[in-house]
Amino acid sequence: MATRCAFENSNEIGVFAALTNAYCLTGIGGSENFYSVFEAELAEHIPVIHATIGGNRFVGRTTVGNRRGILVPNTTTDPELQHLRNSLPDAVVVQRIEERLSALGNIIATNDHVALVHPDTDRETEDVIADVLGVEVFRQTVGGQALVGSYSKFTNQGGMVHPRTTVEDIEELSSLLQVPLVAGTVNRGSDVLGGGMVVNDWAAFCGLDTTGTEISVIESIYKLSNRGQQSMQSDIVTNMRSSLIDQLS
Amino acid sequence: MPVYNFKGMKPVPTAPELVDIVLMRTQRRTPTVVHPGYKITRIRSFYMRKIKFTQQTISERLSGMLTDFPRLNDIHPFYADLCNTLYDRDHYKLALGQINTARSLVDSIARDMIRMVKYGDSLYRCKCLKRAALGRMCTVLKRQKASLAYLEEVRKHLSRLPALDPNTRTLLMCGLPNVGKSSFMNKITRGNVDVQPYAFTTKSLFVGHCDYKYLRWQVIDTPGILDHPLEERNTIEMQAIIALAHLTCSVLYFVDISEQCGYTIDQQCSLFRSIKPLFANKQLIVVVNKVDQQPWESLEEAKRAMVQGLADDANCSLMTMSNLSEHGVSDVKAAACDKLLATRVDARVSGKKIEGVMNRLQVFNPAPRDGVTRGAFIPDSDGVTDGDVDMDGGNIRKTARELMWEGGGPGVWAPDYRDQYDLADDSWKFDKIPEIIDGKNIADFVDADILDRLEALEREEEQLVAESDAARMGEEPESDLESEEEAAVEAIRARKKIIKEKKLATNTQNKPMLPLSIRGKSKDKHDAGTLLATEIRKTMDSIGVDSSKMLERGRLLERGRKRERSLSRSRRGADDEDAAMDVDVSGLSKAALKKIKKEKGEKARRDLSQARSHSRPREPSQMGLKDSESVKSAQKLDRLGRKGWMGASGEGDTRKSVHLVKWMNTGKKRNGTHYQR
Repeated sequence: MATRCAFENSNEIGVFAALTNAYCLTGIGGSENFYSVFEAELAEHIPVIHATIGGNRFVGRTTVGNRRGILVPNTTTDPELQHLRNSLPDAVVVQRIEERLSALGNIIATNDHVALVHPDTDRETEDVIADVLGVEVFRQTVGGQALVGSYSKFTNQGGMVHPRTTVEDIEELSSLLQVPLVAGTVNRGSDVLGGGMVVNDWAAFCGLDTTGTEISVIESIYKLSNRGQQSMQSDIVTNMRSSLIDQLS
Repeated sequence: MPVYNFKGMKPVPTAPELVDIVLMRTQRRTPTVVHPGYKITRIRSFYMRKIKFTQQTISERLSGMLTDFPRLNDIHPFYADLCNTLYDRDHYKLALGQINTARSLVDSIARDMIRMVKYGDSLYRCKCLKRAALGRMCTVLKRQKASLAYLEEVRKHLSRLPALDPNTRTLLMCGLPNVGKSSFMNKITRGNVDVQPYAFTTKSLFVGHCDYKYLRWQVIDTPGILDHPLEERNTIEMQAIIALAHLTCSVLYFVDISEQCGYTIDQQCSLFRSIKPLFANKQLIVVVNKVDQQPWESLEEAKRAMVQGLADDANCSLMTMSNLSEHGVSDVKAAACDKLLATRVDARVSGKKIEGVMNRLQVFNPAPRDGVTRGAFIPDSDGVTDGDVDMDGGNIRKTARELMWEGGGPGVWAPDYRDQYDLADDSWKFDKIPEIIDGKNIADFVDADILDRLEALEREEEQLVAESDAARMGEEPESDLESEEEAAVEAIRARKKIIKEKKLATNTQNKPMLPLSIRGKSKDKHDAGTLLATEIRKTMDSIGVDSSKMLERGRLLERGRKRERSLSRSRRGADDEDAAMDVDVSGLSKAALKKIKKEKGEKARRDLSQARSHSRPREPSQMGLKDSESVKSAQKLDRLGRKGWMGASGEGDTRKSVHLVKWMNTGKKRNGTHYQR
């Protein structure tokens, strides 16, 4: 299921929340409305945690993780690190890394198996990513954008990339990531996919402006509707094709 | 793509209203006080301003109307034709043309009258000219009464037209009156069109919207059309015809097979045939309606063949439907939308734009690069995928949002974030943990064996350093140069170093400079030495140099030079005296002698008097005046000109002095006198 929500009237919910298969972080807002959207959907299955990083609430952009671990930037304070350690399950490794580019969510895109990183990240960071998150790491750009975490979003089942990515680039990325990919948008045409939505293997949340077409693309590419239907991703090619053509061109 | 929205047009005032508005504005926005005593130029400009302002206001108003109203040649042909039927194109254009003429008339009136005011020689005449000008302009406006009234009606009607986009995906219903078009509209949209059992319930176009296949569709309900020639059609029918003619859409032709609408199937078929040319290049579906009353299967064979013949002739599909039983309603909608979408997609696919979005239309499946399976990790707990919480369990937890509202709302209540800590012992959750103990950050000691590990690390590092040192000892850094060459290199480097240092020493740029006064006093080569005259003379004499000039100059420098008359004049004077002495005075008369003496005295005086090297500048007030006479007369004129002034203020300056009202300030007051209360 894909759910629409907003953080204090902002559509960029990927900025204020981070979602993996093992936990969910949300920024601390003025009210509990945003937190409760995630809580209602996920709390039965995984911990949903209030968090700040370096006193800031844009936790989705500063952290990156998967079900094995979470990386936080060097701006994270000791009490915040302690809070994360206490709240997360023991199986999840919390690691603070010394990376010059501290918005880890923008420079790293990962699922549980493969990660894409910004071409300018440190060699050490790359090693830490591989160790902590247990993934293969590739230095890549997406659609000419170095901020792979902002302009792409992929899970173990599928992924979306920047709408300007060429067909050849998508094919290459798809063979790297080993998941089906499609180019797309969220929030009524926004290309900042990582900023506009958070997804894991069974749930997705996207900004309030997301159109019906975008929602249905998201649901089919990430295989969110029902586990029974296996051929859902081909919906984009078959059922939705004409609507997409009519709307996009 | 222009968006047609006629709702933003400003209301058009009636002619008397417009006159009122214009005159009121002139009265309020221009100066109102003028006196006959003012300079005539001022009086003239006062009235010219009034006329000009009135003209500007009128022209602004009329131009606003001309730009607000759509120009029929520029808008979409659908709207142009609709305006033609509803408001009559000629009438509309004439009205706007008249407004335009009125505007230019007013402009020329203002121009003429302003020209005349320029020759007005008194306040009264100017005022009369202004009245005439304003009067003529208002008369021009009054003559536009009919046009303005008509345009206001048009504006009201236009602003109530439905917001119909001629270029979007559109479904359009048509057919005879009462065949069920509006009912269908109400079924598939939330348009809420009035449905009544009499003909021409729908008197204009209605627009509703529905969703199909993730897209928004515009549904247009048209008034019923009767089967007669185009010339005989009334305005209501024409709207339907115009919509059919100009919109690219999917058309649903409704046929009432129960004949309850009052028209036989025959009549309905003949209407279809007469408006068939309008269906060209459109997606057409013949909708057989009211099958709850008269099932399609049990219809008379002849009639059925006739209706079927329609669909076959037009090469379109035929669908049965009933608004009452809702049989086939969504099928009809889906079929119509699909047909239109298919043609639109075909048109797009043949175009070039599609290539830009090809990456969004296909899913790129990976070619496997190794044998590793990369599966998903979905927890096994209930309701993960469908997102539903088990309602039967009864232990539905309260969300933080509910708790927040119970606790007083946002800003008042916030959760204790420690509540959800996942610790080995729940009783640890709320333990107080200090940040700093004994001056040390406890986060640095979060590992129990951190000191041991640090030690191990240091040991490892030491070992590494030792190893690398040992490795370096073993090998000498070898150079591949001969000894001679090396010596040469050394020499070159040494020389380069010297050059560099020399340059630094002699370089005067960017170095602090000492002032002369300080530099002179120091014991260096610049030291002047003793300044005593006797010493100097002694030294100089010993060297053999004449020291007199040197000393004099030194004295002058010491004292500071006094101003003195140049020597040349006195010398010349002396020469003259000598020359005069040379004149032979003997043998001259007394008078001649006197004359000579007088001349000599004058000459001497003239020589002694100093010529001015520069002429003195005149006072600024006298600049440009020829002589003292003209200066005097100028001053007098200035004085006379200021006669009417109070101090430096002019007639136009507003004064606010203490205004003492006599009746308030004199006489006896009720208690005591004015001064004593």
